[in-house]
Amino acid sequence: MRSLVIVLLAALVFAPGLAAKDPENVYKTVEAKHFTRVEGVELSPAFTDYLYAELRSELAKTKLFVQVISEGEAVEDADAANSVVIEGAITEYKKGNRATDAILGGYGVGARSLKLDVNLTRRSDKQDLGVVKVHVKVSPRWNEEVMAKVAAHQIAHEVKKGLKEKTKG
Amino acid sequence: MAKRGVMEAKMLSQRCALVSAGVLLACSLTPCIGRADEPKPTPENTIHIQLAAPVPPQKFAKAPKFFISEVIDRSGNPQPMLVLRDRGGVFLDRQPTQIAREAIEQSLKAADLLAPDAPSADLALQIYVFHFGLAQGSGLDFFGKVEFSVMVKNPKTEESQEVQAKGTSIANAAVRKKNIQKNVQANIEGALEDAVRNLLRGAQLKEAVTSLLKNNPSASAASPGGEMAFLQGNGDNGKRSKSEVQER
Repeated sequence: MRSLVIVLLAALVFAPGLAAKDPENVYKTVEAKHFTRVEGVELSPAFTDYLYAELRSELAKTKLFVQVISEGEAVEDADAANSVVIEGAITEYKKGNRATDAILGGYGVGARSLKLDVNLTRRSDKQDLGVVKVHVKVSPRWNEEVMAKVAAHQIAHEVKKGLKEKTKG
Repeated sequence: MAKRGVMEAKMLSQRCALVSAGVLLACSLTPCIGRADEPKPTPENTIHIQLAAPVPPQKFAKAPKFFISEVIDRSGNPQPMLVLRDRGGVFLDRQPTQIAREAIEQSLKAADLLAPDAPSADLALQIYVFHFGLAQGSGLDFFGKVEFSVMVKNPKTEESQEVQAKGTSIANAAVRKKNIQKNVQANIEGALEDAVRNLLRGAQLKEAVTSLLKNNPSASAASPGGEMAFLQGNGDNGKRSKSEVQER
């Protein structure tokens, strides 16, 4: 009886943890490309570089990919079917307003805003694996790089969510 | 009354002289103070950058032999060895050009793609280093960036093609000086490895090698069929490529 209780308790303790565990290294490689900009988006050239670097760093943290490769890197033919390419575009950027943010910042008014469209495709056959739309709002007091960091984190999170659903379905 | 006026004027001019002497002294001392704050390389604040392991290059249809002819610094940085100015500074122990050369040579040598000298090489590489070290990040971490452009040249046909490579790495910031140095070193090493990988495993290099060795007699001998012999006759190709490079 006692051993049964112990087993039951152990199952209650460990089962949720095991069930919630994320699948690791589902895809062989992921290639993140530099994001393009729609005309009228006024961001420094260094922003795209930093966003690219942050995105690669965040994608590595998702543990969904064995390797996060750099842009333009060749992939073995055997791994191509299990590899993902991430492309995207910065569709909108609003500088925000410091004064408005100071007064009504709590409601998101006057915040710096960035909108991105991200496309996920399979490397081998260019099959569409999903589209992710990200909208980032940060305080206008923060610099562009912090905004890139927040955007990269959000993109990686959405990519992970999307791909996980895809593998489940 | 007039005498009193002259005295006042004299005192005023003396005060002016004193103030200007003070300003002059302050101006002359300022550069000395600036120089004292300028970090200097010491064994404690100097880091050694190298690849942890050679980067395996991609597989080529016919493995060419590369030779690194020149590595040129095009960063425009007056202090290329100073990677971090804060907290007493962090310095590199060698020039970025030398580090880049060693990293690429090490990887090529490990894959047996390095020619011992220029005449025996199928392709010569001229490397332009555009960025080596840290770049502006969010302030919450260190952003390492290594960027170079490589001119791949076939010495026999004089044709050349440009290949670009970029490596980035992001590492956590630190508070203690020892940890700052450790993180900066790991960060630049990561960016260097990434850049070398981007170069040697990149689709751009594959394209360059394929197109530059297309007209190579040794390559045509190795390839099956007489396709290369036909292409060799078309000398127009090389001229076009040369003019492109000259334009750049």
